[in-house]
Amino acid sequence: MANIEDFTGYQPTWCPGCGDWGIGMAIKKALVDLNFSPDKVAVVFGIGCSGNMNDFLNAYALHSLHGRAIPNAIGIKLANHKLPVIAVVGDGDCYGEGGNHLIHAARGNHDITVIVHDNRVYGLTTGQSAPTSPKGFKSKSTPFGLIESPINPLTLVLAAGATFVAQGFAGDINHLIAIIKDAISHQGFSLINVLQPCVTFNKINTYQYYLQRVYKLDDSYQKEDIKKALEKSLELNEEKFPLGIIYQKKSRSYHQQLPQLLSDKALIDKERFVEYDRLILGFI
Amino acid sequence: MIFTWKIGGEAGFGIMTTGLLFSKIASRLGYQILDYVEYPSLIRGGHNAYEVCVSDCQVTALNKEIDILVCLNRETFEKHKQRLTPQSFVIYDSEEFNFEDNFQKVVVPFKKILNDFGGQAVMKNTIALGASLALLGGKIEVLTNLIKEQFNKKGDEVVKFNQQFAIAGYEEVRKKYSSSIKNFLAEKEKKEEKMIISGNEAFSLGAVVADCRFYAAYPMTPSSSVLHTLASWQEKTGMIVRHAEDEISVINTALGASFAGVRSAVGTSGGGFSLMVESLSFAGVAEIPIVVFLAQRPGPATGMPTWTEQGDLLFAAFAGHGEFPKIVLAPGDQKEMIELTLKAFNLADTYQTPVIVISDMYLSEGHRSVEREWFEKIITNYKINRGKIAVSPQPQPKTENFLRYKITEDGISEKILPGTPGYFYQENSYEHLEDGHTTEEAKPRIDQVDKRNKKWATYLENDFQLPNFYGDKEAEIIFVAWGSTKGVLLEAQKKLNEKRVKTGFYHFNHLYPLNQEKVGFLFEKNKRYILVENNSWGQLGKILAMETGVKIEEKILRYDGRPIAVDDIVKNFLS
Repeated sequence: MANIEDFTGYQPTWCPGCGDWGIGMAIKKALVDLNFSPDKVAVVFGIGCSGNMNDFLNAYALHSLHGRAIPNAIGIKLANHKLPVIAVVGDGDCYGEGGNHLIHAARGNHDITVIVHDNRVYGLTTGQSAPTSPKGFKSKSTPFGLIESPINPLTLVLAAGATFVAQGFAGDINHLIAIIKDAISHQGFSLINVLQPCVTFNKINTYQYYLQRVYKLDDSYQKEDIKKALEKSLELNEEKFPLGIIYQKKSRSYHQQLPQLLSDKALIDKERFVEYDRLILGFI
Repeated sequence: MIFTWKIGGEAGFGIMTTGLLFSKIASRLGYQILDYVEYPSLIRGGHNAYEVCVSDCQVTALNKEIDILVCLNRETFEKHKQRLTPQSFVIYDSEEFNFEDNFQKVVVPFKKILNDFGGQAVMKNTIALGASLALLGGKIEVLTNLIKEQFNKKGDEVVKFNQQFAIAGYEEVRKKYSSSIKNFLAEKEKKEEKMIISGNEAFSLGAVVADCRFYAAYPMTPSSSVLHTLASWQEKTGMIVRHAEDEISVINTALGASFAGVRSAVGTSGGGFSLMVESLSFAGVAEIPIVVFLAQRPGPATGMPTWTEQGDLLFAAFAGHGEFPKIVLAPGDQKEMIELTLKAFNLADTYQTPVIVISDMYLSEGHRSVEREWFEKIITNYKINRGKIAVSPQPQPKTENFLRYKITEDGISEKILPGTPGYFYQENSYEHLEDGHTTEEAKPRIDQVDKRNKKWATYLENDFQLPNFYGDKEAEIIFVAWGSTKGVLLEAQKKLNEKRVKTGFYHFNHLYPLNQEKVGFLFEKNKRYILVENNSWGQLGKILAMETGVKIEEKILRYDGRPIAVDDIVKNFLS
């Protein structure tokens, strides 16, 4: 049995009070609760303050390029689907630079868990506006205020066909742990948008801001209903933030539909193909 | 004996399939072939042409003259008549068009036969194949058998329906042109079983034999048929083939699969490769093996998508930001494509870095005869070498951080597969310590840069190969070329030799990095070196100048989208 310590790497370099601390702790606790150890899980990190978790979390890990963690995660899953695969990414990383990958990973129902640190600002590059920054957001790159409307990540991935869509809050670790566990256990593509205050560069979307606007979905909420889920997701546009599983649907994941993997052996463990005659005949 | 058969017609009417069938017919009758396709970047309305050069010995280049031109429309005649001689045969339908009596006419009533049997326009091709076979003295059974294999699944009736067009074309020529019939395709008594493979198929076969288990691509001419071929084999080979949303996803999915431990490759052309380049740099620093198949076409940007050029050598050699080792190979023909693809996967694993295999439209889409026995020998002799990947470390009492980037003499560190019990590690796009953690300190930075650079030294020592030399060692004229122009130069050498012009030829297929010292020594004073390239810059010349100080002033360059022709070379020496 592994414990939190086993998953703990180097001392984090996040700003004091940063939401990443809570997310980092929640991921570690979820992995412990799920009975994983660092040698039994694969994590891909994007680039940004979120991605810097690579040094603070022990696992078989790939610290990728900005925006590219999702395709890396898909590749790992296809090569060895016995490993749980998690992508730890940021909002600029995943909704900006890597937006195309997100859409297609969702529609492919690839069995990976994407945890987005959504602080609605670029932290590591010192405070430019992000795809989820509110309209009018003044930053170094938008000194007169952001013209674009923010991306609504929940609506976006629901429309793209994601089979597990959730929202968590870095200020409520216990609730986030439960969501992460459900997401990793889900068969197929899962996305958790984690509302994460950036204490240094985002003076608008603070802990206070979120505490006044988040609310937990209760047991009466029907997470299997896509229309309700879409409706719920649209609340973000009115600055209301539902927390919990917005949508979940049972559906075979991408690798479960590959005839190559029906034998249950992972791609990496399969016997080498040697029946070359079967190919040669086509060339005669 | 050597002859050229060419068929042309409107795009979208089966010219490609027909050309390949002709190659297979010639091969099954015991001959060797080389073929080449011409088509515009559209699906309907343009002109498609397919040319097959047939001989009893190895064919390495296209001929200047066309001996049999099959015109399914007038455009074919107009476009290619300048390559006809008075002895050339033109197979055509005089109902469609006619021309003056300067070539040997073989009138085949395509339209009438189609009407008589109630066929569709695409079946003109079958009639044309039957007519060609009759004219060349081949037996019809080869063609009817091929048709049977093609349509067997659809039942006897469909087979017979299609066969009758072949027979009609065949009989038409036998009856009306019995005095013109040649014995060019008379069945050989001794036949070696041969495969007809394109450069792309050669790469695909190589990838399978090398136990590549993951291939990703986004369609892009002229690399797409690798995607089609490997995808169609998936259920047999067990390889996973992913058509991803863009080339950035393509290479990153493959890098993920490679990180997890399976041999992985991607394929693309220049534009798609441009999108992959950032990730190539990632593979370099994170030390992830990857084989990149780069089938060139004329650029820049969208360029001339369905034509050929060797314009991306410099780009491939220097692709990626920062300094990291990568290996660039460029096979000269289909056989070399198989051999170097097999080698590429071993090199990628051995050096844990990207290996680029360069092709171009001419090599990728053209077919050549490859003896089945030769290929089977290659398979038997191939040894998978995964280098220091998948080592099994001692079990640990407590889970430990594996030193993925341990400093070593040869620059290569051991890798255990993710999921190996008792360990964990990360592969990192940031500069890192031996344990994979990010660092910005000076000392480990220098250590890791030096470590990665050592891989090149190790490669040059152990796996680099000098250019192959063909021709006369004493010759004063030495051609210098790389990749797909090999066959054309060999043929040009033959032609020049007949005219008593002695030549030598250095063919480079290990393009980058170059062993400066060894390569530099190849070039002697007082000899006339001539660079031959299918581009406008002489890109190999630039690499040679940069890496070895050798400057080649004389150049034969072609960059109109067409492959270099034997005549482009030979004409310079026959004044």
